[in-house]
Amino acid sequence: MSNPSLSSAEPLLEVRNLTIRYRQDDRQVTAARDISFTLRRGGSLAIVGESGSGKSSVAGAILDFLGPTTEITGAILFEGQDLARLAPVQRRGILGRRIGAVFQDPFTALNPALRVGRHIAEPMVQHLGLPLPEALRRAEIALHEMGIDRPAEVARAFPHQLSGGMKQRALIAAALACEPPLVILDEPTTALDVTVEAQILRLLSRLRRDKSVSLLFISHNLGVVRRLCDDVAVMYASQLVELGNVRQVLERPAHPYSKGLLASRPPLAAASRGSRLAAIAGQMPTEPEPEAGCVFAPRCPFHEPRCTAGAQPLITDPDGQWVRCWKADTLGAWPGQHVAAAAEPTFHRGDALVNVTSLDKTFDTGAGLTAWRLSVSGGRPQLYRRAPRDPAVNDVSFSISPGEVLGLVGESGCGKSTLGRLLLQLLRQSGGSIEFDGADVARLPSQALGPFRKQAQIVFQNVGSSLNPRLSVGEALERPLTLFHLAKPRDRTRRVEALLDMVRLPAAYRKRFPHQLSGGERQRVAIARALATEPRFIVCDEPVSALDVSVQATIVNLLADLRDALDLSYLFISHDLAVVAQLSDRIAVMYRGRICEIGTAADVLAPPHHPYTQMLLASAADDEPAAEPAAAASVAAAHAGCVFATRCPHKLGPVCDTTPPPLKALSVSHAVACHLDTMPNATVPPVLVRLNPQRAAI
Amino acid sequence: MLALVVIAALAQWIAPYPYDQMHVRDRFSPPNLHYLAGTDEYGRDVFSRLLFGSQLSLALGTTATLISMAVGVPLGLIAGYRRGVTDEAVMRVLDVMLAFPPIMLVLLILAVTPPSLMKTAIAIGVLAVAPIARVTRSVTLDLMSGEFIEAARARGERLRYMLMRELLPNVWPVLMVEASLRVVFAVLLGAVLSFLGFGVQPPAADWGLMISNGRAFVDTAPWISLAPGIAMSITVIGISLVGDGLREVLDPKVGGRR
Repeated sequence: MSNPSLSSAEPLLEVRNLTIRYRQDDRQVTAARDISFTLRRGGSLAIVGESGSGKSSVAGAILDFLGPTTEITGAILFEGQDLARLAPVQRRGILGRRIGAVFQDPFTALNPALRVGRHIAEPMVQHLGLPLPEALRRAEIALHEMGIDRPAEVARAFPHQLSGGMKQRALIAAALACEPPLVILDEPTTALDVTVEAQILRLLSRLRRDKSVSLLFISHNLGVVRRLCDDVAVMYASQLVELGNVRQVLERPAHPYSKGLLASRPPLAAASRGSRLAAIAGQMPTEPEPEAGCVFAPRCPFHEPRCTAGAQPLITDPDGQWVRCWKADTLGAWPGQHVAAAAEPTFHRGDALVNVTSLDKTFDTGAGLTAWRLSVSGGRPQLYRRAPRDPAVNDVSFSISPGEVLGLVGESGCGKSTLGRLLLQLLRQSGGSIEFDGADVARLPSQALGPFRKQAQIVFQNVGSSLNPRLSVGEALERPLTLFHLAKPRDRTRRVEALLDMVRLPAAYRKRFPHQLSGGERQRVAIARALATEPRFIVCDEPVSALDVSVQATIVNLLADLRDALDLSYLFISHDLAVVAQLSDRIAVMYRGRICEIGTAADVLAPPHHPYTQMLLASAADDEPAAEPAAAASVAAAHAGCVFATRCPHKLGPVCDTTPPPLKALSVSHAVACHLDTMPNATVPPVLVRLNPQRAAI
Repeated sequence: MLALVVIAALAQWIAPYPYDQMHVRDRFSPPNLHYLAGTDEYGRDVFSRLLFGSQLSLALGTTATLISMAVGVPLGLIAGYRRGVTDEAVMRVLDVMLAFPPIMLVLLILAVTPPSLMKTAIAIGVLAVAPIARVTRSVTLDLMSGEFIEAARARGERLRYMLMRELLPNVWPVLMVEASLRVVFAVLLGAVLSFLGFGVQPPAADWGLMISNGRAFVDTAPWISLAPGIAMSITVIGISLVGDGLREVLDPKVGGRR
């Protein structure tokens, strides 16, 4: 097979027929199969795929991170040298010096015992032979180039004193320290908030321009790729299925898998009750056999017998797009889904199921002795009482009607999960009331919460720990039935099977244990467990954030179906506005413990906006968000005024710092907490169209 | 290891001679076909005494460990589950217990009361409560961050169910490994006590006691001390290997959590 290449410019990195195998529990697992691509000097290539597709293994093979048990065949030509054939000493000389790397989790990538500057100086000492003081001086310059305001201060700080975004900037600075021509980024923004992600992406594209560095960008997020890369390679089940120019692939995907992946991203717009996301059925095969035919065929809506008749070659079309599908040029759009449009319900605020009034929560700094700390910094020892923390939830009021979904959006640490746990009384509030079905559950002693617990349930984010690993699926689902006497012992098995059926899992799953299930299946079981008590209200705390896009779509659809079938109310918590918009009737936007905007999904997504909502929308919509004031980097402790004042691009003046803005009603259904008389309304409408070109084409 | 337990259980029948039978004519006989491991200063068969000794050692080890588990596991679970004041109180008390040198503590207990096997077991068991409780607590704390715990709380589960069904089965694998280590310590500590004369009393056959008795004759009849020493090493290694094996067997299931 010839090497798919997209440009005749000088290649910097050329991967030829790369195959990666490793042993796992006495089995031979192929992580990547016959991968070939070329990255030209100054170019940027993204490798996109779901978890388990083998994309990180490819990066690992280039960086030599895979360990001795891995068997690598093929060639990795970097600047004309085959890395796979180099001696370990020579490879070390190239890593860090000629190839920089940035990884997903900035929170663990820095050694907590070393100052930030040292991390950036170290590669320069190691590879360029600079004396440490000189390297440290250069580290400060590098930090400044990363858009950090007080580089000297940051260089002397320890990692724990920096925010996630700042840490990732420092890591990028470290990767670029020796000015390598190639930087490999493995999901560098996945662990970050959308607004921070937007900043990092802007930084990366600026660096790419200024320093003419090439990027190999590994990601599961197609939207992120669009903003940064020229070319994109789509991987599925250890194979390259599509390779081409970013704009071409995202706007006219040729391979069915790419089509499905793009179609399953929710659009950033309010959805009607009957709308469902396009989803890819089934799951990725764990041991694909490409010799037997197309690896995607079992999940492909276009598949026919010829697809599984033999190995599928990577073929090219006149535009230079490579695709591993013989009928790619005959395919239409990915089939969308729509259920019989349920009548749009109208909700009356009067008959609310959940009614929250002035809810506050401040976490204790500890009672009695534990609140006291000994300080010796002032020369002589001194006892002091720890300062009370900022409230996690601050004067929050809203209501949810029966059958209504309230979406709750905000960045990490804004208090949205705390709010969800307060509603279920998993945490006790510091003030305010929570009425559920007319009774103030916040005043009830925990022994009297039994009936409430049956009515209100929760689904969590972390599919890895939401099920007890020692209980079978059947046992986990039976427990609520026993606890609330919902089924006679002999009916329990039948009831469990009915629950499994509701979340579209086969009845045989009763006997399985959590480690035998995939992430999406575990989340289904967790949903079934919440449904087992026959609740009327479910808090969904980031239920799809840990899942791949295609799985995410099926779970969101399932939640929508259950809402309609069982007339459930949700508090749907997520950091992803698009997902929230897909499911919610109303949306609340939260920032540092306060609700800054609340309204129907259409109200919140269409202008006018609270400045923070606007920033979230712009970040989520691949758009250039308004530049934040410089002070945003430091977290100010001013609680006197508006919590968002330090980051607000539309700040009026002193009034924002001194007076908390009241929640102003803009219409019957829409309220915003802001001092501005007219809310900013720029930039959003064109975004809605641009975000989903696939749908626009249909 | 299994063989060791079988041998210990069947000592009565395997042993060529009763443990206290003296063969006055064959005192200090080196190992030979009649006396596989030789005889001691009273002409007692060392091999037979070894077999009976294994009974004592294993009984002591397991009893002591069971006692410390019975007390330590619930303490650790509750401390880890309740946190806060309960946690502080339990852990500080255990810290105080850990602050005493182990041998001193056991000697103190045994010195003021007449020695017996059961009492030795209890003394050693009490000693191991603190480490077992600590291990249990740390695993529990780790589990508490799991969302299945919060899901159970959202159902309003009671304390008993939380501890026994949600937490204990997940702590169990770690505990089994820890327990096997504790048996080893108990066997060794028991031997030390016997060696010092505070444990099992003569003429009972105990490894520590045998080493202690043989000490005087190391020059002329090294086998009297050597044989129980070797037996003890084999036991300790055996139990440790079982511990490692347990880790292997029990971990993959937990591994599913990752």
